[in-house]
Amino acid sequence: MKVKVISRSTDEFTRERSQDLQRVFRNFDPTLRTQEKAVEYVRALNAAKLDKIFARPFIGAMDGHRDSIKCMAKNPSYLKGIFSGSDDGDIRLWDIASRRTVCQFPGHQGAVQGLTVSTDGSILVSCGSDCTVRLWNVPGATLADSDNLSDNSAKALAVYVWKNAFRAVDHQWDGDLFATAGAQVDIWNHNRSQPVNTFDWGTDTTISVRFNPGEPNILATSANDRSITLYDLRMSSPARKVIMRTKANSIAWNPMEPLNFTVANEDCNCYSYDARKLDEAKCVHKDHVSAVMDIDFSPTGREFVTGSYDRTVRIFQYNGGHSREIYHTKRMQRVFCVKYSSDASYVISGSDDTNLRLWKAKASEQLGVVLPRERKKHEYLEAVKNRYKHLPEVKRIVRHRHLPKPIYKAANLRRTMIEAERRKEQRRKAHSAPGSVVTESIRKRRIIKEVE
Amino acid sequence: MAEKKRKERAGGGESRTNKKFKKHSNSKGLTKKSKDKSNMRRKRTGPRLPSALRTELDRLNARISANSDDEINSDVEKDVYEYEEEVPQEESRKNRRFDPVENYEYELPEDFEDENVSSDDDDDDNDDDFDVGGNEGNLIEDLDDSDGVEEEDDGRHLRMLQGITGMSNDAFEGKKKKNNVVISEAHPESEYNPTRDVLEGDGHITVQDLLEPIQGKPGYSKLRKRVQYMDRKSTSIQAPLPKADREKLERMAVYEHSKKDITKWEHLVKRNREAPTIFFGEDVDLGFSTVGAIASEFEPRTEFEKKIASLVYDDKVIEAHKADGSKLLELNKISAEDYMKHRNHIAKMRSLLFHHEMKRKRVKKIKSKTYHRLKNKDKLKAASAEMLMDPEAAKEQARKQEFKRAEERMTLKHKNKSKWARRILERGLNAQDEGTRAAMAEQLHHHALLTRKINTVKDSSSSSSDSSSDEDDEGSDQDRASELLEKAKEKTLKVLEDDEEVPNSGVLSLPFMVRGMKKRKEEAIEEAKLALQEYEQLEGTVGAVNLKPATASGRRVFGMANNEASESNNKIKTDNKKMKMDNYYGNSDSEDDLEAKENLNITGGRKNDVEKDAGPNCVHKEAADVRQDSVFKNFDDIVRDPGPKTTYEVAIFTSDSWRKMKSENGVDANVKKSQEIKEPIVQNQDLKEGEEESDSDSEEQMVDGILSTGPKDSYELPSQSELIRHAFAGDDVEEEFEKDKQEILNDENPEPDKPVLLPGWGQWTHIQHKKGLPSWMLKEHDDAKRKREETLKKRKDAHLKHVIISEKLDKKAEKLQTKTLPYPFTSKELFEQSVRMPIGSEFNPETAIRALNRPDVVKKPGVIIKPIKFEEVHQHEKPEDHKRSGQKRKPNRSKGAVGKMKKQ
Repeated sequence: MKVKVISRSTDEFTRERSQDLQRVFRNFDPTLRTQEKAVEYVRALNAAKLDKIFARPFIGAMDGHRDSIKCMAKNPSYLKGIFSGSDDGDIRLWDIASRRTVCQFPGHQGAVQGLTVSTDGSILVSCGSDCTVRLWNVPGATLADSDNLSDNSAKALAVYVWKNAFRAVDHQWDGDLFATAGAQVDIWNHNRSQPVNTFDWGTDTTISVRFNPGEPNILATSANDRSITLYDLRMSSPARKVIMRTKANSIAWNPMEPLNFTVANEDCNCYSYDARKLDEAKCVHKDHVSAVMDIDFSPTGREFVTGSYDRTVRIFQYNGGHSREIYHTKRMQRVFCVKYSSDASYVISGSDDTNLRLWKAKASEQLGVVLPRERKKHEYLEAVKNRYKHLPEVKRIVRHRHLPKPIYKAANLRRTMIEAERRKEQRRKAHSAPGSVVTESIRKRRIIKEVE
Repeated sequence: MAEKKRKERAGGGESRTNKKFKKHSNSKGLTKKSKDKSNMRRKRTGPRLPSALRTELDRLNARISANSDDEINSDVEKDVYEYEEEVPQEESRKNRRFDPVENYEYELPEDFEDENVSSDDDDDDNDDDFDVGGNEGNLIEDLDDSDGVEEEDDGRHLRMLQGITGMSNDAFEGKKKKNNVVISEAHPESEYNPTRDVLEGDGHITVQDLLEPIQGKPGYSKLRKRVQYMDRKSTSIQAPLPKADREKLERMAVYEHSKKDITKWEHLVKRNREAPTIFFGEDVDLGFSTVGAIASEFEPRTEFEKKIASLVYDDKVIEAHKADGSKLLELNKISAEDYMKHRNHIAKMRSLLFHHEMKRKRVKKIKSKTYHRLKNKDKLKAASAEMLMDPEAAKEQARKQEFKRAEERMTLKHKNKSKWARRILERGLNAQDEGTRAAMAEQLHHHALLTRKINTVKDSSSSSSDSSSDEDDEGSDQDRASELLEKAKEKTLKVLEDDEEVPNSGVLSLPFMVRGMKKRKEEAIEEAKLALQEYEQLEGTVGAVNLKPATASGRRVFGMANNEASESNNKIKTDNKKMKMDNYYGNSDSEDDLEAKENLNITGGRKNDVEKDAGPNCVHKEAADVRQDSVFKNFDDIVRDPGPKTTYEVAIFTSDSWRKMKSENGVDANVKKSQEIKEPIVQNQDLKEGEEESDSDSEEQMVDGILSTGPKDSYELPSQSELIRHAFAGDDVEEEFEKDKQEILNDENPEPDKPVLLPGWGQWTHIQHKKGLPSWMLKEHDDAKRKREETLKKRKDAHLKHVIISEKLDKKAEKLQTKTLPYPFTSKELFEQSVRMPIGSEFNPETAIRALNRPDVVKKPGVIIKPIKFEEVHQHEKPEDHKRSGQKRKPNRSKGAVGKMKKQ
């Protein structure tokens, strides 16, 4: 007689620790579980709903400035530090974790227009409308951690006075050069009181400048003449200029894709460009209803955050036409600057109401220590949600956002206008000789020309 | 440095000589030349040739001058082709346009100096001449570049002059020639100092000519190679552009360059985009990770820890550790005596434990109830003794009991004695609403349970039956079923035996009543017999018995609204059959509680009601049993009554007995839809449950039994039409189909409701009444009808007789489908494939889940992510798998995202 028994060795079933989970054996035969799809769909739906329930993106506001915040800079080597400069010439270093001012940098006579920190996090560069560039020593982490509530104020390492007011500044990655934007683009060295190089192409004021973090010798600027210009420091010459219909307020390079950069435009859209093909935008990111004031890429390169004059902060996918997320509060006014934290999990916005605001990059993310099983569960739910995101119900829930009334109305109005324009174009096309009216895609339409 | 100087000098000399040629001024040329010569002398630094070579060269020069048909061109930069296409010198020399610039740009080759050196020592004049010739050659060469253009220009110019002046071509030509002729040499003509004609004519001297004689000399091949190299590298130099243009070109170049440079990232970016997951902050050290590292940080804080630490960090031990392991063993030494003692102690303890365990096992095996009772008693006694001994424990016990009693008092859930309950009962249960009645019933039920418990406790020693019934509760269903059957049988027998006393007076004594009673009795007896038969049968097959209660319960489920009604109906039927039985139950009640009696009274009242109803009920039932035709009659009844209809629908499933059921329900519905009876019955049942649950069960059992006997009866008398219908049941397919289709049509496009007037509405006067329905209502109805017909006509299956095409949208299925193909997917199949396999842990092995569920971006919170660093990526190399993602990967997770950018 043959007797079949289940053989189970003790080795396999003995737990190492009492907290270990018991080993479970499952039969994965699909015929045994025929409802798997339905089950997972329901899970996806529930995950989407839970995401909505747990979406609490706002962490806190940091107040202390007495005027609207014009610029911010994150410390590339220290996660918790963020610098902010305001219209009254005040520069502050904040500790994000405790959300209070660690240090102040007094000295600027006019508005602080640009802030940047060297890659090693030791030197802060500020520039302003008082025609000065100031270098500061960044206090170490110990000062930031200390509970010393007395006002710390630092003295400038160096003050370089120059001919014109400055509009922006950015530091080279892993180098000791920084670039200022104003009447022209100046390249500075830390140790020199005069710029080492000056680029002057066109007569209008340059309003923003950004170094390419992957390719440290390439930088891009945007100017009041609605142009975006690329420079190459190795050949110490400008390279290419593209003129759009409206001016770009800010530029951000993708830190993971040194080919690509995105500009925040005055016409409510952001445009992603490939630096090699400037005749058309790679992607147009629409959703804002007013001028986009600032843009910053996530260090992962997969998304970026924008702050707009319409009092909202939005997060876009690097290749998404519409925003993934919108953040707003009742008290937040025009947003002038935004930053993505260096670990890609927070977003900081500085606005007209003199406050910095700290947001989670993922609205429903659980902060703090997440246990492995918990994380696994989150991952699973995320994956399931991602899988069924195309189904109408899930899609609806995931996409739904409550908007402030003015923004909702403005968005509707914009949509109507665009639609009307499109219709008109269509009709014109229909009533003219075939081929005489050519519709250009929006990616090309907003570009006037490429200047060599 | 020297070279630079040389170049400068050469350049200067050249420019000067050029000037000389341009200006065609002899005297000036002479002064210049001498100045030049002195200049050269002063600065000459090049190597000198050996005298042998020099003499050779001299000889060669002589030869060259002799065969003046040879071309003379000392220019090293001279291009062979250009030379061949050379135009007359006189023309090209005229044009001064490009001279200064080109000469500025010009760099004299190095080997040129060597030649100079060779000729320098020979003769100053010669050298000078040679120099001139060389420069001339340069000039010629320079001019040659723009020869074509100039020729054209000259031609055009001539034509223009002709046009303006009307003079012949020669006049202008002559002017030019004259200019040419003016040139003269400062030295007498000789073989070392060739005339201009020789130089400008065919007799140019080339570098090749100069090189030829030194063939085979050391350094010749090197020299030749360099000359060739220079020949090859020589390029034409163009005029500088305006600044704006130049900058533009520069920018273009810069852009092209940086574009090319930046393109190196493409593969890296592509790889990152195509990767299903990218990892950030993997290599960042977050601090201590190993146990050892953490342990090394440990510092003893508590007493115990310190003690241990003092032992561990004892000097001796540490020394021993450091020195050798053997010393540690010495420290570990125990004496033999100690060891033996320890061992004995352990052995003793072990044996004690073992014995204790054995004893426990033995005691646990004892099954005797007496033993346990005694043991319990002992325990109690011990406890009481303890209580006596220990006032604390006694107090505690008392407190506990008091608490229990208080709790009982507080809840009083099971008593009917509470004020509330009494009031309810006073007012009558029927007057109460559902909730109250339910609460009441619940109370009673609870109480019944409690009392039963009390009884069992009371009779545990004496009555075996009770205990057995108690045990039955825990025992197998089978036993209980058989017991139930037993009891049922007993009761039926009793009914059979029982002779009903016919009352002598009253209504019942009337002859037709007597007859009716008799008939009823007969029927009852017959039924009882059948039941008995059934019981026997059932008892024979235990399995069937097991099944029976299940079916009973199943049947009880049907028709939610009628559930209780049918239940009560069943009950009443049994009541009808054995009215005595109820009395019997009442009598057999061992319980003499007041509440129970009250309830009994209630039941009594109800029973009377039932008896009143019993007559017609029974008649109907009889009819149902005997005649099949009545089925249809009853069916009509059912159709009229909405209540039983539901039972019909459900009963249709229980294929055999449905007809019977129907008739009964119909009858019941006809006789009494009275809810007033229903509730007390339920209550009664509850009561009985309290008394003897098994009995009530058996009743139901019996009812079921009777019901199940139904088909047997009905089978005996199938009507003809029925038979025919059965025989040709399958033949009516077409009609059925049509009916189905009609049904579906009605379902999808329901017929509009008939317009109805609300009673009293619009009927204030007779006139209104006569008018009937308002016109708009009729119109609406017509419209709806027409619309429906139209839609029916429009249906795809309107003209297809044998086809039903459903046009109904399944809303539930719609939820699970997308309206359009989602973006990154190019075909339906791809999309479907992407969602085909589940990804949950229930459906996949543990090893695969991680890879399946991994998010697109994996990062650690609190770790700074640095921008991308360049690394070489082989274009055709597959992206290397991450160390953790050895398993299956999701194919289309990040594909979409990547594709998007690519397409744009």
